Formats: sequence, C-alpha cells, structure tokens
Amino acid sequence: MTETKDGVAGVQEQPQSPRALLHIAGLKVTFSSRSGPVRAVDRVDLAIREGERIGLIGESGSGKTVTGMAILGLLPVNAKIRGTIRYGDHDLLTAPDRTLQQIRGNEIAMISQNSGNSLNPVMKIGDQVAEPLVIHRICSVPDARREAIRVLSELGFDDPEQAATRYPHEFSGGMRERILIALALICHPRLIIADEPTAGLDAGTKSHILRLIKTQIAHNGTLFLITHDLGAASFLCDRIAVMYAGEVVECGPAKEVLSLPLHPYTQGLIASLPSAGLHPIPGMSPSPASLPRGCRFCERCPAALDRCDCDHPDLFLTECGRQVRCFHYD
Amino acid sequence: MSRKIVLWGSVAILGIFIAIALAAPLLAPTGPYAITGKPLQAPDADHLFGTNEVGQDIFAQLVYGARITLLFGFCSALLAVVISTSVGIIIGYYGGIVDEIVCRAIDVVMPIPMFVLLIVLTTFFSPGVLQVSLLMGLLGSVHGIRIMRSQVLSVARTSFVEGAKAIGASDFHIMFRHILPNVMPLVMVKFVTTSQHMLVMGVGLSFIGMWDTSTVDWGTMIQNAYSGGGVALGLWWWILPPGIAVVGISLALALIGYSFEEKFNPRVGVNRI
Repeated sequence: MTETKDGVAGVQEQPQSPRALLHIAGLKVTFSSRSGPVRAVDRVDLAIREGERIGLIGESGSGKTVTGMAILGLLPVNAKIRGTIRYGDHDLLTAPDRTLQQIRGNEIAMISQNSGNSLNPVMKIGDQVAEPLVIHRICSVPDARREAIRVLSELGFDDPEQAATRYPHEFSGGMRERILIALALICHPRLIIADEPTAGLDAGTKSHILRLIKTQIAHNGTLFLITHDLGAASFLCDRIAVMYAGEVVECGPAKEVLSLPLHPYTQGLIASLPSAGLHPIPGMSPSPASLPRGCRFCERCPAALDRCDCDHPDLFLTECGRQVRCFHYD
Repeated sequence: MSRKIVLWGSVAILGIFIAIALAAPLLAPTGPYAITGKPLQAPDADHLFGTNEVGQDIFAQLVYGARITLLFGFCSALLAVVISTSVGIIIGYYGGIVDEIVCRAIDVVMPIPMFVLLIVLTTFFSPGVLQVSLLMGLLGSVHGIRIMRSQVLSVARTSFVEGAKAIGASDFHIMFRHILPNVMPLVMVKFVTTSQHMLVMGVGLSFIGMWDTSTVDWGTMIQNAYSGGGVALGLWWWILPPGIAVVGISLALALIGYSFEEKFNPRVGVNRI
C-alpha cells in the first residue's frame, strides 16, 4: 500500500483498508472552456475495496458523474485528466485503448441512467443484453443469447424469451432500467458503476430497482453508486463519500455519515430532505469555472470561520476514522 | 391509402423495367443491332415500336437499352451511397481533424457543377459506360457525405453509443453494429433518390455523346431520333418510346423515394394517420 502516499492528496488512506480493487488518487479533471478552465473534479482520492458498496453523493455539477466516467475512460477528448486510477496492474488513465476495451463491460461495468436513448432503438433487447458476452468473446452467439434470456428472467421479466425479441421502445422506463442492469451484470464484472440508476423513475419502480440492484450485487461484487439521492445511497451503500464543487468533502461509513453528518454541507443536505422538514441550503454552489480561494462551501456555510474565506481545508481524519474537509475538525 | 397505391404502382413500374432488362434476350432475340426491317417503318405486328433510320427494331433497342441505362443508374448510385455512408460514418464518429479536412474538401468540390465537371473529366479518359458510371458515383457521393455525417453526428452523441463504449465495444463495432443500423433508413432513401438522379443524368450524358455513341441506351436512342429528324418528320414511334421510358422510370424512382422519406422521416409531408 505504498502508492497511497501520493503527496498531492493530503489524505491518509484508512490503514485497515484491505486490498483496494480500484484506487483513485489525486484525480483532477479540467475542461477547457471559453471562460477559462473548468475544474470539474479536483484532487479526488478514493479507494474502493473488493466487495464494498460505496456511494458518491453530490448535487448536479459536483463532479460525481465525471469521476465515474473517468474510471471507464469515457470522458470527452477535451478533458484534461491528472492523477491515477489504479486497477490491478493498470493505471486506467494511461492504459492503451485495447486494455480499456478488455476491462470495460467485462471487469468494470456501468449501469447507465435511463434517459430514453440509453438503449439502441433498432436492436432487439436479447441481442443488446448478450452483446457484452459477444464482444468479449466469452461464449458463442447462441450461448450468449441463452445467457441473456436467463439474466432477463432473473431480473423479473415474466416472459424473457419473448422480451428478448422486442425493441427498447416497447418497454416502460422501469423495464428499460432492468435491461440496463442486465447488460451490466451479464459478464459478472468485479466492479459495477451505477450512475443515477433510479433517475426519472416513480417511487414504486425506484424501490423495485434498488432492491434488485441490492440482491444482484449481494453475490456479485463491488458497487460504486453515483447519486444525488440520499435514500438510495443509505439503502445500498456501506460507505459514502460526499462531493461538493468537485471535491470530496466528507467520507465515512454510510450510517454514521447520514445519522451524524460532520461537514456543514452534509448537514445541510440532510436538513433539506423532505423527511427533515425541507430546509434548503441557501445560495448556489460556486461555478466550477471560478472557484473561491478558500473553502468552497464557505459562502453558504452557517458555521464559517474567518480562515474559511482564504484557506483551503484539507480532508482531515477525525478520531473516529472519518474524513471531513472542514476546519472545525482540524 | 392513396399513398400506398402510388408506392406500389411505382414499385410495379420499376419491377417491370428491371424484368424487361433481365429478359432482354428473350423479348428481342435478334438483338439491338440487327437490321430487321425497312428504315423508318411505322409500328406493326413485327416491329412493335417500328424501326429507326437504318431499320433496326426500336423495341429491341429499348429493351437492350434498359440494361445499360438501369445498370448505369444503380451502379453509380450504389457506389455513391456506399462511399458517402462509410465516409460519413467515419468522419461523423471520429470528428476532429479528419472531419475538418474532409468537410473543407467537400466545400471546395460542392459548388462545381457535376455535369460540367464530368464533361471535363471525360475528355481526359476514353470513357466506357462503366467508367463514367463509377466516376459519377464518386462525384455523387460528395453531397451524400454531408447528409450522412450530420445524421451520424446526431446518433453518435446519444447515450447508447456511450453505453456501447462502456461495455468494451471497439470503434469498428460501434460504427458497424450501432450507428449503421440507425442511419440505414436514410441510406435507403438516399439510394433510391440517387439512382433516379444518376439515371436521368446518365441519359443526359449519353444524349450529348459522352461515351461510345454506338452503345444502345435510352440516351443514344433519343439522340438518334432527335438528330435523325424524328421530331421534325413526326415519326413519333422513334422518339416517344425511349422518352416515355425515361420519364416513367424516373417518376417511379422519385415516388418510391418520397414514400420512403415519408415513412422514415415523420416531419416530411403529410403524416400517416
């Protein structure tokens, strides 16, 4: 575990961490725009251990999706990426395309959000679900199709054989999300990245999908959930990292973070939940093109200190082993 | 409903012409060059459409001419569509510098009128029908590249393409298995409309004697009748059959093209109810 001391990070990886499956260190993603560089993700360090379910929480634009895309190497070409993402012997940020293609879908898979065109409209469901097996040459095409039907039935399709011959537009949003889950699970990947898997679904369907992901992950490995939905995260994850304006501001066991949030932003986030009385955090998060010099939450923080305005806090490690980016815990 | 009739009528006309072209040796066993009667004979039982100035049977010429004319139209359209689809997919998918270069090159070639360019080019070659047809396919693809590219751009930015990348698909796989099927309707429409365009242009080219004038196709037939005084002398059977054939097949192809376009693109024309 020598690679955890990367210097840039200023983060001490938790000492008890067993073999990390994926190790993100000092990840920095910048997009160039007309109004100058946009720092979407800034020095993110995250170790995902084998068998762990980790949730990355944050509002839109906090850089959580960009982090997920960076893992799979799917960021657009105008993104400048720094840092390392270690997976096994590879650094996913510098690995050649061939290696990435072998890893994607096979070892690291993604459950993308169902946006209406996340499935190819002119390809039958069965073929689409079987595609990862065919691409990675895991089995023959007829075997892949049989396996696709098996996975579809496991995911709650009543008549999977008939469903396999239909096209995406014939299914409801919830069913399409199941298809996307089937697509991600079919190769039994070691790590599953789920980016807002319940976006745009109604409450009933949502809990079905979350339950489905939970049971599937239970015997299938590691989950990296990207969401803005605290409920989904607390249901699925055992560790949570909270992102704000491109930085991880708090990281710790899910139960503790949600019941006793340390960072003022996390506190605000939980207070803004309907169940806690719907008290939104005043103000807006800073534009990633012009980030403040000090703490990025300073402007909106009810407990800001004098130094918060000009000094940038590191991610401090508290006595109970949680990480928080706030001078109150220095 | 009436649109359906139009479509099937057009398909039938096209089918008949193709069948005639295929069955030419059966329909006119003497061949297009044989002198089978007296010059300028009016239509009768022996010569369905009469004879031309040297006594060749016009029906036989029409039947054999269909082969050249149709082949010309479809060959060049096929080439044009294959080139424009593959180039359009590649530059639309990859984008960047290659896209930029190809687009600028198209900007340069586009304003040059194709007919004139062809006349210039064919003075340098000793052109046969096939050569001119390939050349036209090549030139005709230029316009199509743009259309395909813009269509590919709208497909390549959708999330299922990203999803395909996320399951480890190679670029080739994405282009061939995901993007091509999504632009296929447009390719079909493009093929039909281009064939019509190419076919008419081929008749025009042969009318002005772009290739060996002894080749029998509809263009040279019209040219023969025209220069031989068919119009002036009122020898309608000489000039009308090839003329009507050209109009008929071009109309049929155009109508098929429109029907396809309406089917695949709901924004065009009156919507199906």
